[in-house]
Amino acid sequence: MSEHKDHTCVNKLATIPHAAVIDEIKDEIEDVRTYYLSFEDKEIEKDFKIKSGQFIMCTVYGYGEFAVSLPPSPENDRFHISVRNAGKVTGGLHDLKEGDKVGIRGPFGNGFPFEEIKGKNIIYVAGGIGLIPLRSSIVHVLQNREDFGRIILLYGARSPKDLMYEYNIEEWKNFDGFETYITIDQHVDGWDGEVGYVNQLIEKANVPVEDTVAFVCGPPIMFNSVIGELIERGLKEDDIISTLERHMKCGIGKCQHCAIGRTLVCTDGPVYTYRQIKTLGEDI
Amino acid sequence: MYLIKKSDVYKIAEELSKTHQVFGPVVEKESGQTFLVKTDDPKEIDLTAPIPVQPPKSVVFPQIEKIFSYRYDKNTKIVDMQQEFKVEPKAIFGLRSCDLEGMICLDRFMLGQEFVDDVYLAHRKQMFIVTNTCIEPFEQCFCVCTDSGPCAKENFDINLTELGDHYLVEAGSGKGEELVQALGLEKADTSFTEKKSAAIDKSISKFETIATDNKAWISRVMNRMTTGFTSSDVWEYIGNQCFECGACTFVCPSCSCFNIEDVNRTSGESVRIREWDSCSFEGYTLMAGDHNPRKPVEDRRNKRFFCKLSYSQSKKYLRPGCVGCGRCAWVCPGDIGLPNVVTYIRRETTEKVEQ
Repeated sequence: MSEHKDHTCVNKLATIPHAAVIDEIKDEIEDVRTYYLSFEDKEIEKDFKIKSGQFIMCTVYGYGEFAVSLPPSPENDRFHISVRNAGKVTGGLHDLKEGDKVGIRGPFGNGFPFEEIKGKNIIYVAGGIGLIPLRSSIVHVLQNREDFGRIILLYGARSPKDLMYEYNIEEWKNFDGFETYITIDQHVDGWDGEVGYVNQLIEKANVPVEDTVAFVCGPPIMFNSVIGELIERGLKEDDIISTLERHMKCGIGKCQHCAIGRTLVCTDGPVYTYRQIKTLGEDI
Repeated sequence: MYLIKKSDVYKIAEELSKTHQVFGPVVEKESGQTFLVKTDDPKEIDLTAPIPVQPPKSVVFPQIEKIFSYRYDKNTKIVDMQQEFKVEPKAIFGLRSCDLEGMICLDRFMLGQEFVDDVYLAHRKQMFIVTNTCIEPFEQCFCVCTDSGPCAKENFDINLTELGDHYLVEAGSGKGEELVQALGLEKADTSFTEKKSAAIDKSISKFETIATDNKAWISRVMNRMTTGFTSSDVWEYIGNQCFECGACTFVCPSCSCFNIEDVNRTSGESVRIREWDSCSFEGYTLMAGDHNPRKPVEDRRNKRFFCKLSYSQSKKYLRPGCVGCGRCAWVCPGDIGLPNVVTYIRRETTEKVEQ
């Protein structure tokens, strides 16, 4: 390859992060905050288009960079990220105030299917902060409510105070036929809802399996029990969709930190069907 | 095809040094080892030296490299960002064909996937490559098994082949042709094509039997690696011998995993650097909240061999990821360089067949 053609990156934000202002910070649950952002450069703001299920790389100046899923819907939603304080860089983000700036690269990744699943029943199964990446698809699907069949959210968290986006869930309930089942791991005073793990909700909700797609996101242990249950009910492996998480550095398929077997989560993923996940050749 | 006298061959490097930083194999007097170094004196470059201890990747993909620097003023909220990677025209004089193939693997991976790595491309675009045919294999070499030697077939600017008291000079690109023209070299007649292939054949015949023996086995192992038929016992055995030092990764011409970090300077400025990383390190896949999807060492160790030999990875490089330079076998304190790993998997296969 002695004489190179000039390659150009389609994605302007591939290597160099662009500054975005934190317009608003919202406390969600313990250690999790939502940051509403807008790009400093209005041209970039205009061109910045996301798909649900994609992610961005967020630079906290002076701390480093982390990968984070995008909870906003691609249509008419404020650009925001919801981040748990889990280490050095996300800790640095939590120290920032409204008006401070962060750097954004992206969006990266394949994203959730949308056109392909029109006309089907949609089941969302989330555990804890696993609801964050699913929010994007939920809102998008609800914005196009008439194109879908039953829409069911099965959501489990450790305790009532670990439930993400409760205020959003209340809004979603206003949509015609949006079914919500929420459970917590152990009973606490003042909770009159379901108690137990989220996989138990599958039967409770009597989820359909024909013409149905399930989106599953949560910790590995929950993931496995939910998948087992869904498959037992007759849902096909191709119709179970999840988004995977890995330690990421570059986001553009070069650093290889996010490799799972033969795949790179940043460019081939982060969204995979269960059939794909099974054949990656490595544990998720 | 052209000819240049052995004693004059350095003049090619001299010509290149007018416009490029010239890197070449230089034998260190104290240790007797060969290093690929930047040199201002082209006469220092020894084309007969064994392959350098380190691969050429650091020339296009430095071990630690600044990408950009920034300063964020918390009071004024101003972000000042400057691109900081330095790119200069570089030439490698006397690259061995295995190392060239390694660089081509990097090219295909860094430039040929969904995204183009801008930093790598900036370095690579300005490179000039002079390859050197191995008319004598070295002890650890097995490029004959991985289709990467002993002579470069393409992707060089100039290729040199030592034939008696001359070097046969072949231009492989427009840039190469220009340089050869500028030097006004003597034309070689067609008989030299035959002389060259005789020299290559002779070289191939001199490879260690173990290297040539492994040829069929490398493809066999690739098959087993791809289909996942290697038993976990073998990986455990290999993993138990791994010191997790990362040396195999750093000396591999086609390994390119890196880490990205922001480093704060005392001046208040931060620098984003990227640095070589190795999949054998435990922290490589460690996620926030201390979850590590790859834990035991064999889990990490087999990842690298998977990368070198499996078909799914080969699709990225359009060839096996291993180029047969033998450096991993040379540096590994646990004796699990790639040829040995092939042997272990081979042994497992043959034992099963015998049963």
